[in-house]
Amino acid sequence: MNDPENEYSFTQTITEAQARPRGNFRLLRVGILIAFAILALQLAQVQIVQGQYYRDAANQNRFRLVQTDALRGIIYDRNGRILVRNVPAFNVSIVPADLPDDQQERVFQKLSALLNVPIDTVIENTASDVVGQLPSDIGRTVIPPKRKLGLRELVAQGQRDPYSPTLIQTNVPRDVAFYIEENHLDFPGVQVGLQPVRQYVDGALLSHILGYVGPIPSESFADYQSQGYASTDQVGVNGLELTYEKDLRGTKGQRYVEVDVAGREVANLGEKPPVPGNNLVLTIDSDFQKTVQTILQKAMDGVHSKQGVAIVLDPRNGNIIAMVTLPSYDDNLFATGISYTDYTKLAQDPLHPLVDHAITGQYPPGSTFKMIPASAALQEHVIDVNTRFQTPGTIWVPNEYYPDNAKLAQPFYDWYKPGFGSLNILGAIAESSDVFFYKLAGGESPNFNNGLGQDRLSAYARMFGLGQVTGIDLPGEAPGLVPDPTWKRKTIGDIWTIGDTYNMGIGQGYLLVTPLQVADYTEIVANGGTLYKPQLVQAVTDSQGQIVQTIAPQVIRHVAVDPQNLAIVREGMREGVMAGTSTVVNLADVAVAAKTGTAEYYGPRVNGNLPTHAWFTAFAPYDNPQVVVTVFIAGGGEGSLVAGPAAANILRAYFHLPSNSPLAGPAQPIAPPVVVHPPAAGTNSAPAHKYTGRSLGVDNWNAEQPGIFGTVVDATGRGVNGVRVVADKCDGNTVFSATTDGNGAFNFGALYWKDSLTWCVHTIAPYDSDPFTVQVEPYKRYTIQFVPTQ
Amino acid sequence: MERLSRPRFTDFDFWLLGATILLTLIGVAMIYSATACITGEPLDLSSPSLRQAIYLVVGLVGMFVLAFIDYRVYNALRWPIWIFTLGILAIVSVIGQITHGAQRWIDLRIFLFQPSELSKLLLILVVAKYMADHEQEMTHWRALAISLVFVALPLVLVYLQPDLGTAIVIGTTWGVMALAAGMKWRDVLIIAAIGAVAAPLIWANLRPYQQERILTFLDPARDPLGAGYNVTQARIAIGSGGLNGLGFCSGTQSQLRFLRIRQTDFIFSVIGEELGFVGSLFVIALIAFILFRIIRAAMMARTPFGKLIAVGVTAMILIQSYVNLGMNLGLMPVTGIPLPFVSSGGSSLISLLAAEGVVQSILMHQRGLELAGSGKNYE
Repeated sequence: MNDPENEYSFTQTITEAQARPRGNFRLLRVGILIAFAILALQLAQVQIVQGQYYRDAANQNRFRLVQTDALRGIIYDRNGRILVRNVPAFNVSIVPADLPDDQQERVFQKLSALLNVPIDTVIENTASDVVGQLPSDIGRTVIPPKRKLGLRELVAQGQRDPYSPTLIQTNVPRDVAFYIEENHLDFPGVQVGLQPVRQYVDGALLSHILGYVGPIPSESFADYQSQGYASTDQVGVNGLELTYEKDLRGTKGQRYVEVDVAGREVANLGEKPPVPGNNLVLTIDSDFQKTVQTILQKAMDGVHSKQGVAIVLDPRNGNIIAMVTLPSYDDNLFATGISYTDYTKLAQDPLHPLVDHAITGQYPPGSTFKMIPASAALQEHVIDVNTRFQTPGTIWVPNEYYPDNAKLAQPFYDWYKPGFGSLNILGAIAESSDVFFYKLAGGESPNFNNGLGQDRLSAYARMFGLGQVTGIDLPGEAPGLVPDPTWKRKTIGDIWTIGDTYNMGIGQGYLLVTPLQVADYTEIVANGGTLYKPQLVQAVTDSQGQIVQTIAPQVIRHVAVDPQNLAIVREGMREGVMAGTSTVVNLADVAVAAKTGTAEYYGPRVNGNLPTHAWFTAFAPYDNPQVVVTVFIAGGGEGSLVAGPAAANILRAYFHLPSNSPLAGPAQPIAPPVVVHPPAAGTNSAPAHKYTGRSLGVDNWNAEQPGIFGTVVDATGRGVNGVRVVADKCDGNTVFSATTDGNGAFNFGALYWKDSLTWCVHTIAPYDSDPFTVQVEPYKRYTIQFVPTQ
Repeated sequence: MERLSRPRFTDFDFWLLGATILLTLIGVAMIYSATACITGEPLDLSSPSLRQAIYLVVGLVGMFVLAFIDYRVYNALRWPIWIFTLGILAIVSVIGQITHGAQRWIDLRIFLFQPSELSKLLLILVVAKYMADHEQEMTHWRALAISLVFVALPLVLVYLQPDLGTAIVIGTTWGVMALAAGMKWRDVLIIAAIGAVAAPLIWANLRPYQQERILTFLDPARDPLGAGYNVTQARIAIGSGGLNGLGFCSGTQSQLRFLRIRQTDFIFSVIGEELGFVGSLFVIALIAFILFRIIRAAMMARTPFGKLIAVGVTAMILIQSYVNLGMNLGLMPVTGIPLPFVSSGGSSLISLLAAEGVVQSILMHQRGLELAGSGKNYE
């Protein structure tokens, strides 16, 4: 039977039972059994033993936790005007898996033309768009990436995750986006998406304050990542956008979704909606900021200066109402991903438009500094208000080693070469006498021991906020420099001399300040001794507009100078306005006190003299300071001639005076202040009933246009705050409008008397009154009062 | 040549037929799950599942026709069959449709015909004829080499398409048939040794994607989103099916399309995911059962020609099944070989049913031989 030749014999009958497997067939059957047993074992291994592992892997495939971005908070100015908002922008992506190979070339060519993205990566430094990392520190010179990725390389990179869209271009113009969308059949795999971008409504007006958002800076990526940021997130890179990043960013939402292989959502399994970022309400008045910018630019143009700063703050709380740095830049350029060309232009501009000179520019303060040695000397009893110094045009400091050799003595000049004669501190501030302050700071020959001295001078400078950052809520602030002997020895390698003290006494030498520090010490003098932290944000609100946090004024310190000493300094500054170096701001309508500064710096000489920066810092009203104005014009020349008029115009704008409002005559006595009563608690809730106007008197007035001044008082005689008072030509068409201050006072400074000699003044509901008629004449001032109707 | 006889219908193997239809219907259902279930489109003549059902009907008709034709007619048709095989393979390399970089199909308007599928069956007939005629000589190199030439020429054409999988199936089928025809194990070892020596040369001549597939088989994590993706996803799909599966049309990986080429190469992964271990094991068992029924036919064949044909068909189905199942389970490299009777594809299904028709013919005509040879009436 085993004979193979017989096996297939035609003559034999073989039943099925006889045809049992033999030889090779048995081997074949056993082999099949073994092979299939191996398959079954592997099947059991995969499905039963490792089942859970693969079920998890399957879930990992199909379930995604998708983050939904939160809208960034909006920024408002103090009047509720929107300064920064989110607007939708189009972007274009390619899903590599959906772009057929044979169409790739055609799609690339069309897209390249539409989106201005090269097909092949180009290496050049004039590329018009770079999707890359921006440096966080804009003051540093960083060369952004020169490689401009082409479509081919972008899509090749995207092949790593072929079912996810690869971003090709952001900020695609609307018509291009619509074109691609409408012709989507011609663009297989190409997607048009929407993403919010920041819009800085006023562009360059507020760039230094608002800053901008951008990609996460590479050097701090790990830090951001630990706070839950994704690598593609936009973060605040500069300005308030950076400082208030935590408030503005909001909380990302999450969605748990089931996706198919293309990443398309099949089912939404759960959702936690994103919480929009909080909004900021600034202390800035953007309309006023615009006015200040215009005034500053005009003043700079007048002297061909390219850099300038103007700061307006409220000395009662440190709120910054306007802060302008010129030149500026448009932060919208950054919000939409700045191009290499634009960035290089800005970064390499010798005028540094990206830098906020208000907080990072460090300059000698010149004579504006004199407020500090004056305060210090009075407080330290080096002088009193009656102390008088002779102030010749030049004084001499003998050589330290050869005190008797007059030839080696060093001359110190006054800016006013004839000299002022005998001055007390009031006159010295008013006239900005340099010699007075040399002597006050460094003492007089021969011993030089009756002055303030370097150590006390430096200590008071620091007390008034110099040599340290002001703490404003902006990044990158510079501290300035308060020099002392140790610093000089280490840095210059020389010893401190009397001459150094002299120079420091007039705000020259090694002393360096930022414009904001000047505004700060003016604030201290104005408000009677309090240094506030300058602040730009007054409140944080949520997306519903509910206040989340009110940012209260923060006192950094009360300076250790008695109020009466600061009052003397203020008086000197007021005299300077009325009859000294600052008469340019001697507004007829508002009592201003001010200090000029003309700070020499090392640069190309002008007419044989060192060039000078023009400074002017002022506060007003003199009796009840509400505003500090500091103007700095780089290389501007005389402070009183260049920065002063700008400050005057800023003050006019602040007090809503016409831009041609008159100056007071130089020798005119100040009009007596309106008699008011000190405000008391609860004045805001005065009963709302009818008021009646009455005349309190008429006096002479140094401006041609007559003025009506007055107060609104309650039944107890206390001033009522916040009452709207209007004046018209008795025809019901309001010409002037004012709101009473904390003392209940209002004023209409310059009436158009040629139009009408009859003016009607009345208060507005809920404090409404009948019109009170005043017959006016030129050069007269009328004082009226509204009292509750009996 | 012996006289042809009348078929005996009682010898028709209904177990084989039943198992084949059941397996194919499971395939139709799973193709439906892998296509129409996902897209939600109504069935029409372009739907793979409906087409597969039509191919089943067509193939069954063909199978019955072939079953009733005495397989011994092919004895006389060896040369025409061989020339025809070479012809269709040559045509495909000239006018064939190119998809995925390979030229494998001829567009017959109503369906894309894949000659290499049919050529497997035709070559089995040709080789079986030669080996049956030279059964005594198969221990000698000369006969072995000549039989190899019958296979080698078409094999080169298939390889050039390129269709490495079919080439492997044809080559291995020849080997199994040669063993059944008496090739010595010593010769098997020698061929294996030659193969091992030639391997680097073969490797160097493989297409990059073929090399990639082999490398990926050796290390699927090598390029998880590229070539290894399909292997990894197949294993995830099968594994997530567990014991009882996720249910018809309910597999997550297949329905969400993470699993690719699911109605053809990776249909078994859909089965694994949706029908679980129980269903998959049943499918494997069905295939094994079919193989055993064909081996039974081989053993009952009264002529060496019939025996060798049945062995060839067994080998063909076994190799394809094993390579495909092994690929799905991560035991074999990705070769693009469909799972017999289950994977979507008309050429493959109809050719396989035709092959079974020939096997049925062998069964139905075995007793007639005795009648013709001995004059005795059996049974």
